[in-house]
Amino acid sequence: MQKSVTLLGRILFLLVLFLFVFIPLYPKFPLFNVAGTFVAIRLEDLMIGLTVALWGIYMVLSNQFKTLIKDKLFLAILLFFFIGGVSVFSAIFLTHSVTPHIGFLHFFRRIEFLMLLPIAASVVKTKKQFIWILIFLGLTVLTVNGYALGQQYLDWPVISTTNSEFSKGLILGLTPGGRVNSTFAGHYDLAVFLAMAIVILAALFFAVKKIIKIPIVILAGLSFLVLMMTTARLSFAALLVGILSLLLLIKKRKYILLLVVFVAVVLTYPSQLRDRFISTITVNIFHQGQRYEGRTDDQKLRSQLNIPTLAIKTSSNSASTSTFATASGIATDITPGEPIDTTQLGVYRSFQIRLNIEWPRAITALKKNPFLGTGYSSLGIATDNDFLRSLGEVGFLGTAAFVLVLLEAAKRIISGLKNENTLIRFFSAGVLSMFIAFIVNGLFIDVFEASKVASLFWLILGLNLAALKLKE
Amino acid sequence: MIKKVFILFSLLLLIYMLWPGPGKIADFAPLPSSVKSTLAGDNIEQVSNVAAYFSDNYRGFVVPYYSKIYQSLSHLPFPPMRLNHPPEYSWNVIKKHTDSTYMEELVYPLRDSLYVNGFEPFYEDGSLKFWGSTKFTEGSSPDLWYTKATIRYYPAGTTVKFLVWGGIIFSIYWLFRLGKRIFI
Repeated sequence: MQKSVTLLGRILFLLVLFLFVFIPLYPKFPLFNVAGTFVAIRLEDLMIGLTVALWGIYMVLSNQFKTLIKDKLFLAILLFFFIGGVSVFSAIFLTHSVTPHIGFLHFFRRIEFLMLLPIAASVVKTKKQFIWILIFLGLTVLTVNGYALGQQYLDWPVISTTNSEFSKGLILGLTPGGRVNSTFAGHYDLAVFLAMAIVILAALFFAVKKIIKIPIVILAGLSFLVLMMTTARLSFAALLVGILSLLLLIKKRKYILLLVVFVAVVLTYPSQLRDRFISTITVNIFHQGQRYEGRTDDQKLRSQLNIPTLAIKTSSNSASTSTFATASGIATDITPGEPIDTTQLGVYRSFQIRLNIEWPRAITALKKNPFLGTGYSSLGIATDNDFLRSLGEVGFLGTAAFVLVLLEAAKRIISGLKNENTLIRFFSAGVLSMFIAFIVNGLFIDVFEASKVASLFWLILGLNLAALKLKE
Repeated sequence: MIKKVFILFSLLLLIYMLWPGPGKIADFAPLPSSVKSTLAGDNIEQVSNVAAYFSDNYRGFVVPYYSKIYQSLSHLPFPPMRLNHPPEYSWNVIKKHTDSTYMEELVYPLRDSLYVNGFEPFYEDGSLKFWGSTKFTEGSSPDLWYTKATIRYYPAGTTVKFLVWGGIIFSIYWLFRLGKRIFI
C-alpha cells in the first residue's frame, strides 16, 4: 500500500508539473462546446479534472485527508464552494437569473481553478521538485514569449476567444496593428501572465547565483518587451505595483529610484502603450479630445436613445447618405460625443463600457440578492472588475469566503518572508508581490475567471505553500 | 449576545422570506383604462406568468402603479425595490423579440420579482420617438393606443425559500466561526 501511495504521489507531482507547462502553452482549442455560451470545455479542463480525482484518492490513501479537513485554508475553500453552490441554487430557483447548465458550468470552473491551490501545496514535497517546477516555469515563459514574437514577426497562428466566432478554435493571423496574445487567446490574459512572471523573476534575481542572474535578466527583459507589445495599460501598472512591493518586501529600496527612471524612459519612448496611457488621462480623466458631432440630424437624435431592441433605419441609396455615414478615417460605428481619434475612441469605450454597463449590472445584481448575488454566469461573460463581479455573482457571503481564502493564503506566504532558506524567502516575497499585482489587475479585469491566468495563480500560490514545508 | 442577535436575525429573515405574497400574474390588476393583449406570447398559454396591456399610460405611472399593487399583495410595510435594467434585458426575462424602451424590475430580495417592460414609441406630447413609430391596436377594435406594458411575475416556492434561508444561515455561521480562526 505504501508503495502505491508513493507512486501516486510521484504521478501527481508529474501531473502538476505538466499543468504548469500545459495550461499556459496549449492554445484554447475547444473540446466540447456548451450550448448558450462560448465558454467551451477544453483538454486542460479534463487534465485538471483527472488531477483533482487522483489527488482525492491520494489524500484518502495517504491518510492526509483528516489533517486537510481541519486546515483553515482548505475549510475556507470548502466554504467558498458551499456558498457558490447555494448561490447557484438560489439563482436557478429563487431569482431565476441564470440558465441552469451555464450556472453550473461557471460554478465548476471556479472549483476547478481553486482546487489547484491545495493540490500544488500537497504534492510538491522536496526542494528538488520545487526547483524543477521553477525551471519548467522559466522555460514556459520563454516559449510564451517566443511564440508572441513569432505571431508579431513571422505570422504564426493566433488562437483567440475574444468573440463567439473566434472561440470556435479558428486559426487566425495577427491583423495590422493587432496585439499579440501568444498562447493566451487574449492579449490582456497574456499581459497578466507576463506581469506575474516578471515579478517572480525579479524576486529570484536577488536570490540566485550570479551565473543564473543573466538568463533571468534576459527572460524578464524579453517578457517586458512582449508586455509592451500587448499595450495593456493595467498590467503595466500592476507590474509596477508588484515590483515596488517586492523591493519594499526584500528591503532593496535603492532600486526604487532605478524603477522610477525606468518607468520614465518607457513612458517617454513612443509606443502604443504610451499613447494609450496619454489617452486615458486626456479622455477619461480630463474629458478632452475632439469629439464626433454627428453628420445627420437622425444620427444626432438616435445617439440620445438607448433602444437597441427597436427596428432602426438602416437602408440607404448610397454610403454617403446612410444613417451611419461618417467621414473617412473615422470609425463607422461612432456615435456623437465619442472621440474621433481611434486610439482615444478605444480607450474611451474601454472605460465607458465598464462605467455604464458592466459595473452597474454587478451592483444591480448585488442589490437584488445581497447575501448570495444572482449566481455564476448571471453577469454575462465579463464585469471587468473581479470584486464587483464576485459581489454581483455570489453576494457578500461568497465574497467574504473568497476574501478569507486570499487572507489565509497571504498570511502563510507572509510567514515565508522569514524563512531561513534564501531562495524560499525571496520566492515568497515574489509570490506575495505577484499576489498584489494580480489583485490590482482584478480591479479592471476578471483575472480570477480568466482560466489560464487564474489556474496559474492558484498553482503558484500552492507551490509557495508547498515550499514553506519543504524537506531537502 | 451575538448568539441572540443571530437567532433573532435568522427568525426575522425566515418570516420575511416565507411571508405570503402574490402567487400568480392574475393576482396583479390590469392597468387602468387599458385593454389586455391577446397577441401570441403575451398570454400565459405561451409564456408563464405574463400579461400585457395597451393603454395611454407612460412609465411614470405604470411602474409606481405596479409597485403599489405588489406591495399591497405582499402585505409588507415597505415597497419593492426598483431596479432599472437595459431594455434589451427584456429578451431574457419577458420573452425573446420583446420590443422595449424601458425595463424595470420590482423586487423583494430573497422572495420574488415582478418585471415591468414598457414599449413607448411616442413621447408624452405625441411626437415620434423613432423612425417608424406606430400606435397599437388590439384585435378588431378601432381604438389606438400609445403604449404597451408587459409584466411578468417570477414567484418562488416555499421549499426553495426555506432551503435558501438554511444555506444563508449556515454560511453566515460558518463564515463567522472560520473568520474568527483566521483573523485571530
